[in-house]
Amino acid sequence: MVDINVVEAKGTARPKRVIDRLGLAMRASHVLVALFVVAALIFAAVGVIQDDRFFLRLGTEALIFAGLALSVDILLGYTGLLSLGQALYFGLGAYVSAVVLKEVPSFWAAMAAALVVALVIGFLAGLIANRVRGVYFALVTFGLAQVAARAVYNTRSLGASDGLIGVPVVPIDLGVITVMSNSPAGFFLFTLGFIVVLYAVCAYLLDTPFGRVLLALRANERRVPSLGYSTRNLRLSAYVLAAVIASLSGALYPMLRGFVSPELLFFTTSGNAVITVVIGGVGTLAGALYGGVILTVLKSVIGSLTEHHLIVIGLLFMATVIFLPKGIMGVVRPLIERMLRGGKR
Amino acid sequence: MFLDYIQFVLAPQMVTGLSLGMAVVLVALGLTIIFGLLDVINMAHGEFYALGAYLALALGASGVSFWLLIVIVPLLMMPIGYVVERGLIQRVFNMPDRHVTTLLLTFGLGLVLEEGLKVVFGPTTQRPATPIPGAVEVMGVILPTYRMFLIGLGAAIVIAVALVVNKTRLGAMVRAAAFDRNMAASLGVPVERVFAGTFAFGVALAGLAGVLLAPIYSVFPTMGRDFIFLAFTVVIVGGMGSIAGAVVAGLVITQIQALSSLVVSPVWSDPIVFSIMVLVLVLRPQGLFGRLGHG
Amino acid sequence: MIRTTLILASLCATTALTAPAFAADPIKIGVVTPLSGTYTPIGQQVRWGLELAASEVNAAGGIMGRQVQLIFEDEEANPSVAVQKAEKLFDVQKVDFLTGTVNSGSTLAVGQTAERAGKLIATTVSFADSITTDKCSPNVFRVNARAGQQSTALAAWVIKQKPKAKVYFLGPDYEMGRSTVATFKKTVEALGATPAGEVFAPLDSKDFTQYFGQLRQARPEVLYTSVAGNDTVRLLTQMQDFGLLKDLLVVGASGTVTSQNIAAIGAAAEGFGTGVGYSTQIDTPENKTFVAAFKAANKSDPDLYGADSYGLIYFYKAAVEKAKSTDTDKVREAMRGLEWATPQGKKTMRAGDHQAIQPMYVVRVSGGQFKIVGNVSGEEAIGPDDCKRF
Repeated sequence: MVDINVVEAKGTARPKRVIDRLGLAMRASHVLVALFVVAALIFAAVGVIQDDRFFLRLGTEALIFAGLALSVDILLGYTGLLSLGQALYFGLGAYVSAVVLKEVPSFWAAMAAALVVALVIGFLAGLIANRVRGVYFALVTFGLAQVAARAVYNTRSLGASDGLIGVPVVPIDLGVITVMSNSPAGFFLFTLGFIVVLYAVCAYLLDTPFGRVLLALRANERRVPSLGYSTRNLRLSAYVLAAVIASLSGALYPMLRGFVSPELLFFTTSGNAVITVVIGGVGTLAGALYGGVILTVLKSVIGSLTEHHLIVIGLLFMATVIFLPKGIMGVVRPLIERMLRGGKR
Repeated sequence: MFLDYIQFVLAPQMVTGLSLGMAVVLVALGLTIIFGLLDVINMAHGEFYALGAYLALALGASGVSFWLLIVIVPLLMMPIGYVVERGLIQRVFNMPDRHVTTLLLTFGLGLVLEEGLKVVFGPTTQRPATPIPGAVEVMGVILPTYRMFLIGLGAAIVIAVALVVNKTRLGAMVRAAAFDRNMAASLGVPVERVFAGTFAFGVALAGLAGVLLAPIYSVFPTMGRDFIFLAFTVVIVGGMGSIAGAVVAGLVITQIQALSSLVVSPVWSDPIVFSIMVLVLVLRPQGLFGRLGHG
Repeated sequence: MIRTTLILASLCATTALTAPAFAADPIKIGVVTPLSGTYTPIGQQVRWGLELAASEVNAAGGIMGRQVQLIFEDEEANPSVAVQKAEKLFDVQKVDFLTGTVNSGSTLAVGQTAERAGKLIATTVSFADSITTDKCSPNVFRVNARAGQQSTALAAWVIKQKPKAKVYFLGPDYEMGRSTVATFKKTVEALGATPAGEVFAPLDSKDFTQYFGQLRQARPEVLYTSVAGNDTVRLLTQMQDFGLLKDLLVVGASGTVTSQNIAAIGAAAEGFGTGVGYSTQIDTPENKTFVAAFKAANKSDPDLYGADSYGLIYFYKAAVEKAKSTDTDKVREAMRGLEWATPQGKKTMRAGDHQAIQPMYVVRVSGGQFKIVGNVSGEEAIGPDDCKRF
């Protein structure tokens, strides 16, 4: 996956766009996301025909948590840094959105607030977290999230341990149509669109020289500065991008469920996001989406069968780490890549 | 008034801080050895600690004396650790990003172990009787005998472990394998077995901590999460693999916690510990004492 | 693949449930309770209590000739999971009624979900006052005693034992712990006690010994604590190790010492007193039958969670039979002001805030068992109706 040659490949790129290995992989991800969207649309259609509420809303929740997983993948897959505290930004977005919505029931105000807060906090925390690498980064992010969770848990004005209930149903004015956040199919489709846009933004950014240098950085830390890039700024940008993605996904949570609680910031949330990305496939972006759905379905199905579902999920996770280090995407994506290459030649 | 403050507040705070510090050092000891020598992050360390406590509880209930448990439980933990290393860790040891991969793998293992403990031993809290009951009073400060014993025994264990790692032939082999795997292998060190043995040793230490701390902190399936963040902090602040570092960091951090809680709300003790960790990482990323085997 | 399964599952679920309800169809009661995580032992009591009552009701012909079916879901003591599972039970399983939530965050969040789905829920465990005061909901009922009721009973008893007592307060440092301490402090001070100091330890505290110096310096006669679960085990055994339990009356919240942790606390629990809505020692034929049946079924004594959950099934049965329907509005009307019999004695559901009025007991640990040492009538303990939403 990680190829030191990318930097050279860029340097020698001919005017005609050359699709290198990474570009091909990214295209394969796009195909997989397109398939994902088609499957989701069929799911939504069946849901509407069946007049379903629960499965559509569960699917919406899976998509929201897939957004969180996407942010973990940006860090883990593109900078090699494992965040054990991404729930910090997810929870932050959720709480900011809930507080704003309780005051002014405006979707755009909530999203704007979540964006701004994530930019500010992400930048400040990024200054701390990016001073360290590897396992230290994991522990610092874990610690940051713990401190934030503790603070929320003890803040009476944020509902303390009980969380905040009473977040109203909001209309989402998209110009052409307005979607209500309590409409199962409407909000599902909106969330699908939203997450796909987040995916597209990430994919675009990571396919630019910015993303390529990030990957190069991951492969060879010492070489990149000598090519004239600032390691620190690059890492910080990736960190802030991940914070924003997590926060915006989190901001959708109270719209769906009508409440927020401190558990959203707990390690379980961060841990689940990591499990999602590993099962789906690290460094593929599309893997976060598939992983999100798979984990949600697993939890929902196994959770209803046995109260010891954590054993099943833990074993599955361990098996993935050992036998499928690139996750499900590691198996599926090469097939798509082969098809794409076949089509070109 | 001032003397009263020392007798009732300051002195007890520092002494109990010391006993908590020793508990943290005991848990961190195995962690730092696995971390420093194997370069493996063992996220399941807390669950091994819990497993040790449960083994002590189960064996103790069937009549095994506490003194025997101190020996038996670590011996029982050894093969478990050995199998985990050979069967799981070894499989991913040479993958890129060893830190992240082993962290993920042991995180999954921790989930399974914790839930497994619940299935086997039930969800309710249990507690073995204090092996040495009673308390002594030193200048008005009351101290339970068992805690005094624990501080002494803890110190002895730390010294013994340090001697094994730094002074024996076995320790030299382990350090050599950690420093340069290929060089050690070419000199005839059975690297894979040494690694598995080191992991088993670390796991046994976690189990021993479980036996010793169970009477004070009680036993329940999620007990592994209790000390783990503090233990990781101690390992990082002290320097990966540095035994002296773990001791100093463990004792200093718990003292800071104990004394700061006199002035600020105890709720801030976690953020304070965290700030210390960040500060050390920023100023001295290799930790106070640097990495074992790496000079 | 998984999608298809999901769709199939939803297809099956919907077709199966759109069929009209026959009289012989079971009445479904959803139970969203922690079956994994820290609160598992409480979830276990909830489950045992509900299952026992349901099997009794079913053996006696069910509710209006319909059998009671319990459907369990694990909420992992996490409101996000609880809400998701509650929606599943409401929408897919089409349950008529829902219960089981333990931590107050879950109860409040699931209560809101029920309100939006037009269904009723009841909690049998959460004792945060807010659930039936400022955050009350027309769709939420509470059949167990709330913190205020427990405090009133306990404070009255403490003052009887030690008039003008010097009381020290020790709680876990989070909202629930602090508010429980505040409620008791206010009640006991009004009765003439003097506060000797207070300290709040972080939740899941490993070591309480660092606060013992301050505690000794304050020289209190009574210690009130609102710690719970494993924290209590550590607090009381560490106090015993430090010789602090001598000449000190230790009292606490109802969740401080329970059947789950009393064995682990051992001798350090001796003499601990609390105000609760239930004790196995209640000397009535109904309670004796209940305790015997509970023990036979589960090989364990019931505690207040088990007893309150057991009583809930009879509450719902009485309400449905009075309403002659399982319709939300009709059942809600029937529940308001309803009086029903439980092993704990008669309970009345206050119409104004959906809080059960029940006799309260003060129990004290003696020989590893809770013994009743005092009681307060339901009317005395209930406190004002502060719910303004309905």
